[in-house]
Formats: sequence, structure tokens, C-alpha cells
Amino acid sequence: MKIGTLAILTIGVALLLALPWLVSDSMLNAAVQMLIAALFAMAFGLLCGRAGMLSFGHAAYFGVGAFAAVHAMNAFNGEGLLPTPLLPLVGAGTGMISGLIAGYFSTKRTGVYFAMITLALAELLHALAPHLKAVFGGEAGISSFRMPAWGFTFGSLSEVYYLTLIWTLGCILLLYLFSKTPLGRLALGLRENAHRMRFLGYNTHALGTLIFAVSAMFAGIAGALQSLNLEAANYVVLESHISTAVVLNSFIGGVRVFFGPAIGGALMTFFGYITSDLTRVWLLYQGIIFVLVMMFMPRGIVGEVIERFRHSSLRGLAQTAGTMALRVASLAIAAFGGVFMIEFIQRFLSSDYRATAGNGNWPDIALFSYVWSPVSVLPWAFGIGLFAIGIALTMIVNRRAAAAQEASA
Amino acid sequence: MTDTILALQDVHKSFGEAKIIQNANLDVHRGERHAIIGPNGAGKSTLFHLCSGQFAPTSGKIVLNGKNIAGLKPAEVNRLGLARSFQITNIFPGVTVLENLRLAVMRKHNLQFVFWRSAARLKKVNQEVDDLLTKIRLTERAHSLASEMSYSEQRSLEIGMTLASDPQVILLDEPMAGMSQEETDYTSGLIREITDGRTLLIVEHDMSVVFSLAHRISVLVYGEIIATGTPEESAPMPA
Repeated sequence: MKIGTLAILTIGVALLLALPWLVSDSMLNAAVQMLIAALFAMAFGLLCGRAGMLSFGHAAYFGVGAFAAVHAMNAFNGEGLLPTPLLPLVGAGTGMISGLIAGYFSTKRTGVYFAMITLALAELLHALAPHLKAVFGGEAGISSFRMPAWGFTFGSLSEVYYLTLIWTLGCILLLYLFSKTPLGRLALGLRENAHRMRFLGYNTHALGTLIFAVSAMFAGIAGALQSLNLEAANYVVLESHISTAVVLNSFIGGVRVFFGPAIGGALMTFFGYITSDLTRVWLLYQGIIFVLVMMFMPRGIVGEVIERFRHSSLRGLAQTAGTMALRVASLAIAAFGGVFMIEFIQRFLSSDYRATAGNGNWPDIALFSYVWSPVSVLPWAFGIGLFAIGIALTMIVNRRAAAAQEASA
Repeated sequence: MTDTILALQDVHKSFGEAKIIQNANLDVHRGERHAIIGPNGAGKSTLFHLCSGQFAPTSGKIVLNGKNIAGLKPAEVNRLGLARSFQITNIFPGVTVLENLRLAVMRKHNLQFVFWRSAARLKKVNQEVDDLLTKIRLTERAHSLASEMSYSEQRSLEIGMTLASDPQVILLDEPMAGMSQEETDYTSGLIREITDGRTLLIVEHDMSVVFSLAHRISVLVYGEIIATGTPEESAPMPA
């Protein structure tokens, strides 16, 4: 299993290194955003998954890192003490300091109260930002330029990609090593039973503050990488939907397993990148995915995969793979039916359609290269029918799998 | 045996109107095994909470090694050499048994804010964790999740974690509750062994354990210590 993990990691890193030759520029651009989202989610995962502190305001530390980096870019022009490749260090420093301050106050409480304090602090910063024009640049934000350094121009996308890749992989390695240190182990103790930690002689408030600060530091690095990528920072990076997205991404990937948040962040960023061009209701799909993952795979995607590999023999795995293929196929049918219905209804309810419809006149709707009449039974039967067939097939597959398991037990 | 390591002097504790501990006076001698017995609701657990820093007494002094610890925080009391177990099992359920003990042991070696060393390569810590595992008979369960163990195994782990900080004074709150006779016998022997050279204050309902283990016994009724004596002196009393 250890060798297996190592092999997967090596292949993954090799693929990432070769990516600029494998994909188009627009995909590479998406890959940069995926890496940043992965690192941001890993920073959140340390706090939420390992130390059990659910922060609803991690956009604040991401944003602080982003703005600090953009100011540093303008101040140093990418020269001297802070050449372009080292700019994320500014994000690290400012993220850590803001994390120490915010962590000191928020870790005085736990659970819901902790979450509320982090939310309040982030909203405070977000509300304040438009009024501090010198720092946050108002509506327009602050822009800058990546300057050449160390013989690189940082003008091409692939150079930006490699810079982001090196920082992201380096930080994930550091997070991994951190999880093995005494402080990293004590984070588990905080999550599991802070009360007992106090009776073992630990200063749980100081521990919580430190772990919060380390998490904020890596969030700040992710923010700085985003500024480097966009050559700008705008106060929208402080918005609550950034804080929400990192929570959802991490849980979809699996917040308690080491690589879970990174996979969740990358996957959901990719999903958004693809679907936001295809449909207006992509956020609805993101929400549906989150609800489904939480309902049927509460350990998250990576957590579920690990669990399946851990509790099964090779023969069992082959069996599971067969069941899984059938399950995925039936779910795909249901998903197609569901997507068809959502898209059809979205078009039916859209203001464009409303403008042309009326007085008993219901024009046809184009969807998936066919035209459908909303007053005919056909599109409704098609969508709902496929959805129902898919669900029914899934239930049959599940029942058979359960029967097979019972027979073998 | 006249050296007092832990003393309660006129300790009162009220929660609003309810007076749980009234005028409690107790001297625990260095090196003795001291049991507290009494009916349900007498305030035995509250007494432990007061000694370990969970609650501050409403009035009175609690003296550990000549220092008043009344009102100190649990972590501070622990660092002064007093460790306790809990009546309701209080472990780290979602991590392995080994991790539970390692978390408990690291504090003694001042490994709280260390982020430049690997926890798995701390030789002294690992050695002590191994010794503890052997002592509490959980070596084979080292890599099981603490939450997946049986109740009595969790109780053993609870004792192991209490021992981890190498305390001078150990407070055990009903360590045998829910154990079988065989487990009770083993744990009784274990407690005898681990408290060698330490001071023990124990709350226990199993009278055979109390009488075989304790050097002295105090009786707590309605928040007041009404008698203290050796097992021989206490035996005829209707406790």
C-alpha cells in the first residue's frame, strides 16, 4: 500500500510537470487556478480536518496574502530582496500574522462559536475593505506587473504555471511534514478531546492559536499565488463565497484525509471552469454535488476511495470495480435525465423566453441540439423518465451487490 | 508517613444555592493510597474536580506540595504533578491507542510547540509509550482506533494516559466501573504497581478493591468528610 501511494504520487507529479506540453493554454490557465484552490483547501484542511476547527472566514487570510503580494510587487518591482519567485513569502508572513491575531480571539471558543467568530472577522474585513482605498484599491482593486527575475521573464503562462506548481507542491510537502511533528500530532488531540488535553497539561489556547496561524500562513501563500497569476487583487477575494467555497471543496474531497482537500479544490475548480461556460446554473450543480457527496460519501471522495481500498481483498476489489462501473453507468443515466430537466426548466423560466412567450403562445426550446415544445409531454417524459430509469437501475445494482455480499459472508 | 502532599483546608463548593462540598478537610500523606468512599451524590467527583482544577472552590485552600492550587487551571495543576482519570471515559476516540498515549507522554518532554522534529522518531517518547502499552496490556491493540476498543480496554487506556505525565499524585475516579472480576483483579494489581512511589487518591465503589488497596479511607457524606481511618478502623462502619 505504501509503495502504491508512492507510485500514484510519482505519476501525479510527473503528469503535473509535463502538463504544459499536454494541454492547451486555456486548460493550463485552469490548471493554475486548480493548484491555487488545492493549496488553499489544504491550508483549510489543516485547521478543519486535523484540528477540528471549522473556519467560515478563511477568505480573510487568502485575501490578506493576495493584497500583501500585490503591494510587494509594486514596492519592489520584482527586484532586490523580493524577486518575483519569492513573493509568496509576503503572503506567508502576512497570512501568519493575521492568523495569529484572529486565531488568538477565535480559538478562545470552540465549535459553533469559533465558526461564528471567524465568520464575523472575515465579514468585518470585507465590509471595511471598500472604505480603505489606499490598501484595497476600492472597486477597481490594485493591479501590478510580474517583473522578470532569475533569468525568467514570467511573461508566459507556462512560467507562471511552474512557479505556482513548485510553490503548491512545496507547501503540500511542508504540510505533510508538519502533520508528523509533535505540534501536528497535538492538532489531532485538539480535534478529538480538547478537555482531556488540558488535563494532560497542554495549553490548548496557545496550541489552537498556533495551528490557526499555520493554516492562515498557507492560505496567505495561496492568495499571493493568485495575485501573481492575475497581476491584480480586488476586494472580492474577501467575499464570503470564497470562504464558503473552500469549506465545500474540502468536504467534497474529504477533509479528514491528507490529500482530500487538495483533490476537492482542484476538482471543483475544474468543474466550475468547464461548466460555467456551458450553463448559467453551474452553481446549482455545484450545490447538488456537495449535498450528494455529504449524503452518500460523508468521508468525501478521497476518504471513500481510501476506505474501499483498505477494507477489501484483491478479489473483492475486482468485484467492487464491476459493481462500481455498473453503478456509475446507471447514475450517469439519472444524471443526464436530471441535467436535462434542470436545463429545460431553466430555459423555460428564463426572462428571454418569457419575453417571447405569452397569450397561449409557447415557442419551442432548443436543448442538446434538438427543439422541444414545452406544451408537449415529450421533453418532460424524456427528462423525468431517464432520471427515474437511472435511479431504478442504481437501486437494482445496489440490491444485487448487497445480496452478493451477504452470500459471500 | 506524616508528610502531607495534598491537603484540603476548609474547602467549600456551591453551585448557586446547592452546597455540594461543605467544610471538607483532608490530609493525603506522601506515598499512601487513599480511598474516598461515600453514597452516590456525596460529592466525590466534585472533590476530584476541585483538586484537578476543573472547578475553583468557593472558599478554602487546596495545597499541593505546599503550594495553594485552588483556582489554578487544569493544565497548571497537571504540570505541578497531579494527574487524574475520569469517571466517564475521556480519551481521544478518533485516533489509535498508540497516538493516545503519545499525545499524553509528549507533554512531559515539553514537546508542545515543536514543529521541526518528527513525532515518530522521538526515542524517549516511543520507549515510554511502549512501556505504558505493556503495563496496561494493550500492546496488541496499539494500532486500533481507541473508539473501537471494548469498554474495559478504554478504561485501561484512561489509566495509562493518566500515568503518562509521571505525576506525583494520581486521582483515579472509579477506575474499575464496568469491569469484569478478572479485569478488576488485574487493574487492582496494576494500580498497586504504578502507584509505587507515588500518592494515590481513588474513588471506588467496589469495597473489596478499596479495602485491599487503600492505606487509609475517608468517608464523604453530603459534601462533608465525616471520618478518616485505616481499613481496619473503617470496616465495622456502615459506609
